Amino acid sequence: MANKLDFLKQFDQLTALFPVQGNARAVIHNGLDFPTTRDEYWKYTRVTSLVESEYVRNVPNIDSIDAFRVPGLDAQYLVFVNGEYSKKFSDTEHIEGVEVTSMRLAEGERKQQMLQHLDQYIDSETQAFHALNTSYFLDGSFITVEKNTSLSKPICILNICAGKRQANNIRNLIVVGEMAKAEFISLHEGHENEGSFTNAVTELKVEQGGDASLYLIQNDGPESAHINAIQVVQEKDSQSKVVTITRTGKLVRNNLNFTVAGQGCESNMYGVYFTSDKQHVDNHTYVDHLVPNCNSNELYKGVMSDRSTGVFNGKIMVHRDAQQTNAFQSNQNILLSERATINTKPELEIYADDVKCSHGCTIGQLDEEAMFYLQTRGLGKAAAAKLLVQAFSGDVTAQITNDALRDMVEGFLHQKFEDQDA
Amino acid sequence: MSDFLRVKNLRASIEGNQILKGIDLEVNPGEVHAIMGPNGSGKSTLSSVLAGREDYEVEADEVTFLGKELLEMAPEERAREGLFLAFQYPVEIPGVSNINFLKAAINAKRHHQGLADITAKDFMVMVKEKQALVELKQSLANRSVNEGFSGGEKKRNEIFQMAMLEPRLGILDETDSGLDIDALKIVANGVNKLKSKDNSFILITHYQRLLNYIVPDFVHVLYNGKIVKSGDKSLALELEEKGYDWIINEVEAV
Repeated sequence: MANKLDFLKQFDQLTALFPVQGNARAVIHNGLDFPTTRDEYWKYTRVTSLVESEYVRNVPNIDSIDAFRVPGLDAQYLVFVNGEYSKKFSDTEHIEGVEVTSMRLAEGERKQQMLQHLDQYIDSETQAFHALNTSYFLDGSFITVEKNTSLSKPICILNICAGKRQANNIRNLIVVGEMAKAEFISLHEGHENEGSFTNAVTELKVEQGGDASLYLIQNDGPESAHINAIQVVQEKDSQSKVVTITRTGKLVRNNLNFTVAGQGCESNMYGVYFTSDKQHVDNHTYVDHLVPNCNSNELYKGVMSDRSTGVFNGKIMVHRDAQQTNAFQSNQNILLSERATINTKPELEIYADDVKCSHGCTIGQLDEEAMFYLQTRGLGKAAAAKLLVQAFSGDVTAQITNDALRDMVEGFLHQKFEDQDA
Repeated sequence: MSDFLRVKNLRASIEGNQILKGIDLEVNPGEVHAIMGPNGSGKSTLSSVLAGREDYEVEADEVTFLGKELLEMAPEERAREGLFLAFQYPVEIPGVSNINFLKAAINAKRHHQGLADITAKDFMVMVKEKQALVELKQSLANRSVNEGFSGGEKKRNEIFQMAMLEPRLGILDETDSGLDIDALKIVANGVNKLKSKDNSFILITHYQRLLNYIVPDFVHVLYNGKIVKSGDKSLALELEEKGYDWIINEVEAV
């Protein structure tokens, strides 16, 4: 299937639910093409196979989601299987100050409220995967947190990609109201999903003085692909934090964008990718500082083994008006194998003259001296490596304030090194 | 003849340079051996080779520890069998907690001996007791391994780890270097308390001063990759008085 229109044809029979979907279909059927490695921001990530494949569409029956839950996590779950809302598995209890709605089921005023925000923040005009998502998503989560509400437990959007050769366009729209505070987990899990493809878009708006944390956990399975876009829009005096944890996924590409449109904002982005086999994980981040007096912090860490490849491209744009910006960015990598590769490019573009910005990257191996030291105390090579890697990734995992979620993420590391010591 | 530690004709080279040129050494349970020598004589190489550092090409007629072929074991296996190296330059490992790492080390050894994990309670009791032994502040025990420790604190931490791991053979590689007299006394005192009829120590040192506090049963002089003279503690005093040149001249005259 060498033709874009042939590829799109397999989705065209899906009903468009909202006007924005019709618009996006027009865009993607016409001038907008999928990126190739000739595009600078896709240089190291080849997606051709994803947009030339034939997919099937079905929603397998799942008996239980227990295996996909975060162990010990107290959260309100919103569950989707292959992009379709699962009422059976979702928690529907009402929490004061929060509304959690399936987009498809939104009606009346709620629907009007949603349409005010939907597709207003993400760029579906020039980004083909965003347009693909907007064109064909079947459902999605629409979450609003009212003004002055502070959520006592996180909302977990669990997306299960189940079955072979599925193409799922996952959509989330989250609005955190003025002075409200909330945590969200976007958890992606998989089940026998060889050859499947998840294309997810999250729009997160944080209104004046709000505070939002979003944890993206990518554990789709070793034989599936995931393209993810998160667009954060921040109003005056708001805070946001996005933590991206990538565990499984044959091909993973993350696009994380922050538009900082009001003064006094803080934007934090953290990430860890633990890669193995022939995995390819690409993190592209972009922070757009439009106004003065804002801070952004970025720290991404990679632990890469086997023949896996990684890409990090972080761009911080400080516009001429964005004086007094503090922007820090760092990407650090440990390669555990001689055949693992990382392409890393921290980028700063500054047009203001009174700012504090830094960026940097490191690529290294495990410290041999530290390894020997730990071994002379009786730790096997794998156990010693595990301790060192844990320490390395610790300043990112420490950003996960929820204990159950952090335990799960640290467990990913333990499992990576498990059974390697005799 | 005991089979505690037996080293015969141990040779080691790195990048084509032969550093150890045939070391013979026998250590029995309960003994303290001091290995002294001028800079560049091969002292640290000897401790590294015994502990299992991989950088060297090693050959020997025999190196056995408790009856087992030492050179065939990985560093962690040597440790689990009861060998401990106190580093001359202890490594700082940011982010790895001293306590967690020690617990993992103790459990690795216990598993090797067919024992279950140490209980949290037993472990904490042990930590308290051994900390007191080397007067290590509790705050240090809870910090990242050696991170931000002073030179003296690092050396005390080495002895603390040794006390926790209860080795049969402790090799102290220039543990006295960089220590002021108070720290030296604390470290020596710790070692003296750990001494028993079943375990032994090899003290590697440039100076005699440590031997004022830990009295050796045997003193060996290492020069140019070989042990050129052995004696009792009086040899150390003689060296202190006459300097290494005295032995070097004697050796080179032969």
